[in-house]
Amino acid sequence: MGAVEIADRITDEVKEEKEEVLSEAREKADGMLKEAREEIELQKKHFIAAEQEKGLENKERIIRAARLKAKKLRWTAEEELIGKTLEEAVKRIQTVKSEGFKGTEYSNVLGGLIRDAVLSIIAGGGVPSSELEVVVSTEDASYVNPEMLKEISDEISDGGAKIGLSLSEERIKSVGGVTVRRKDGKIVVNNTFEQRMERFSTSLREDIVKALFKAKE
Amino acid sequence: MAVEALKLIRETEEEGRRVLEETKENAAVILKDAEQEIKGLKDKADDDEKSLAVDISDKYAKEGEEEGKAIQENARAEAEKLRAAAESNLDSAVNLVLERILGLK
Repeated sequence: MGAVEIADRITDEVKEEKEEVLSEAREKADGMLKEAREEIELQKKHFIAAEQEKGLENKERIIRAARLKAKKLRWTAEEELIGKTLEEAVKRIQTVKSEGFKGTEYSNVLGGLIRDAVLSIIAGGGVPSSELEVVVSTEDASYVNPEMLKEISDEISDGGAKIGLSLSEERIKSVGGVTVRRKDGKIVVNNTFEQRMERFSTSLREDIVKALFKAKE
Repeated sequence: MAVEALKLIRETEEEGRRVLEETKENAAVILKDAEQEIKGLKDKADDDEKSLAVDISDKYAKEGEEEGKAIQENARAEAEKLRAAAESNLDSAVNLVLERILGLK
């Protein structure tokens, strides 16, 4: 083999190695890029999934807050209307005093409340005979008279208990109704409308809601 | 003649070494360029993520607000309906309260 052939062979080998080195480098670079792109794509997918979850949570939080606000709005409306009903009822008591209610005169209303209070005292006190007094407001005093009280005590005494009923000189501040107490002050039944309203508050509210909103049910 | 031949071979070898050195440098450049490109891709992906996060967050917030608004509007309408129904039933509700507190029921 001559020198020229040897030189040509060296040149060929160098050329071949050069191609090989460059080809390897390109292949490695392509591989790195491919891997990086895949990694970025995967990371992007995870990122999107995480952000979507966060976004969804935020969306649900906003909706929950809106639902709560809506509930409050309804609750506020109901409360306003219940309040309005109770206020209106208190206002109408004045009309009841002058005109009666559903055919019942106001004095009979008071009579009924006195009777209930007396029966409660008998039931609660366990005393078969009692001297009781009725306390009313100045305005209501004219609706209670001794005949009426006697009639009530006679009626109750017929049932076995001995009851003496009188109208107290004391006057209470009240929109209406009565307070009945034993003269020794040991038992008091407050049947004023304010107290009855408070006492029946829970069931009254339920009844009001039923009556007011029956169209919705 | 032999000297000339040896010289040719040595020079070719020298040239070969130079070419291979240059090739290795070129290969290093190819890899460095790829690394640079990868860095560029990652930087872009980071930037994309930031705007993507804003877009996704805005999208869901907007959906939530729209749905929330509808719930509110519905609740307002419902409350109005409730008021209207209650107004027409107010009288019977008041009578019911009176019956209870007057002791007629």
